[in-house]
Amino acid sequence: MGENRRMILVGIIASMIFVAIGCAWLSLSAEALDEIAEHFGANEFHIWIPPMPDYEIPGLEGNIVANIAVGAIFVLVVLVVTFAVGKCLRPSEKKA
Amino acid sequence: MHIPDGFLDLSICAVTYALTAFFWIFGFRRAKQVLSDKQIPLMATLTAMFFAAQMMNYPIIGSTTAHLLGGPILAITLGPYAGLISMTVILGIQAAFFGDGGISTFGANVWNMGVVGVFIPYLVFLLAVKAAGNRRGVLAGAFLGALIGDVLAAVSAGLELGLSTLSFPYSVSIAVAAMAIHHFFIGVGEGIVTAIIIGVLLKARPDLLQLPRVAPSWLGELPLVAVKPGGP
Repeated sequence: MGENRRMILVGIIASMIFVAIGCAWLSLSAEALDEIAEHFGANEFHIWIPPMPDYEIPGLEGNIVANIAVGAIFVLVVLVVTFAVGKCLRPSEKKA
Repeated sequence: MHIPDGFLDLSICAVTYALTAFFWIFGFRRAKQVLSDKQIPLMATLTAMFFAAQMMNYPIIGSTTAHLLGGPILAITLGPYAGLISMTVILGIQAAFFGDGGISTFGANVWNMGVVGVFIPYLVFLLAVKAAGNRRGVLAGAFLGALIGDVLAAVSAGLELGLSTLSFPYSVSIAVAAMAIHHFFIGVGEGIVTAIIIGVLLKARPDLLQLPRVAPSWLGELPLVAVKPGGP
C-alpha cells in the first residue's frame, strides 16, 4: 500500500511537471493532421461546444497560470476517473 | 492525431465506432477477469501521466509539432485491453472538455490510438521478447513496438481520412503517405521514451512488469519473468 501511494505521488508530481512544461514552453500545437487537413481543405466543425476549448478557460486565454491550473485539475480528474473505472472492473470479492 | 468533427464521413465514423465497440466489449470483459488491486493504481497513475504528457508539444519536421501518445507503455506494462481502457478515458475527457478530438470521430480516435496504437506495440514487443529473451530484446521490442504502432495508427487515420470522400477530397494514398511520413518522426520519439521508461522499470520496479496483463488469452503472457533486471 505504501509503495502504491509513493508511486501515485511520483506520478502526480511528474504529471504536474509535464503540465507546467506543456503550458509554459511547449504549448504551441501544430499537429501534422491539422496541417495536412488545412492544406487539403478539410473543414472542422463542432457538434459539441467544449467548456474549455484548446485547454483554456474562456476569458483567460493565454493566461499560463490558468492553463496550468486546468491541466493540474484534469490530471487529478483523469486519475480519479481511471481509478473508479478500474475499481468497477476488477473481479468481485466473491470471484477472487 | 486527434481527428475533429467534420473530417470524416458519417459512414466511416459508424464503422470505426462499431470496430472499437467490439474491442471495448472484449476489453471490459477481460479486465473484469484479470485486473488486480495492484494494477489499478499503476493504471490510474500512467493514464494521468500520459494525459499530462499529451499537453507537451515538441517541434518535428517543417512547422509541425508532436506529442507522446502513451499507448505503447500502457500496453506493455498493463496489457493492451487495459491500455485501450486508459486511452478511452484520456480521449473521452479530451473530447468532452477541451474539444481535442471530435464526438462523431471519438470511435475513430479510440480505434487509431487505443486499439491500433496499443495492440501493435504489444504484439511487436511480445515477438521481440520471445525472440531475444534478454534485456536488449525488451528494449528493442519497446522501441520498435512504439515506432511501428505510431506509424500504423497514423496510417489508420490516413485511411479513414482518405476514404472520407465527402469530407476530405483527396485520395487514400495522399492521406496515408502524408500521415505516415510525419508520424514516423513522432514514432521515433515515442520509441525512445518507451524504451527508456521500460528500461527504468526493468531496473527499479521489475515487479510492475511481471503483473498479469489485461490481454486476450490467446496472446499469452509476456515471458518477462525470465529477464533478469541486471542482464544484458
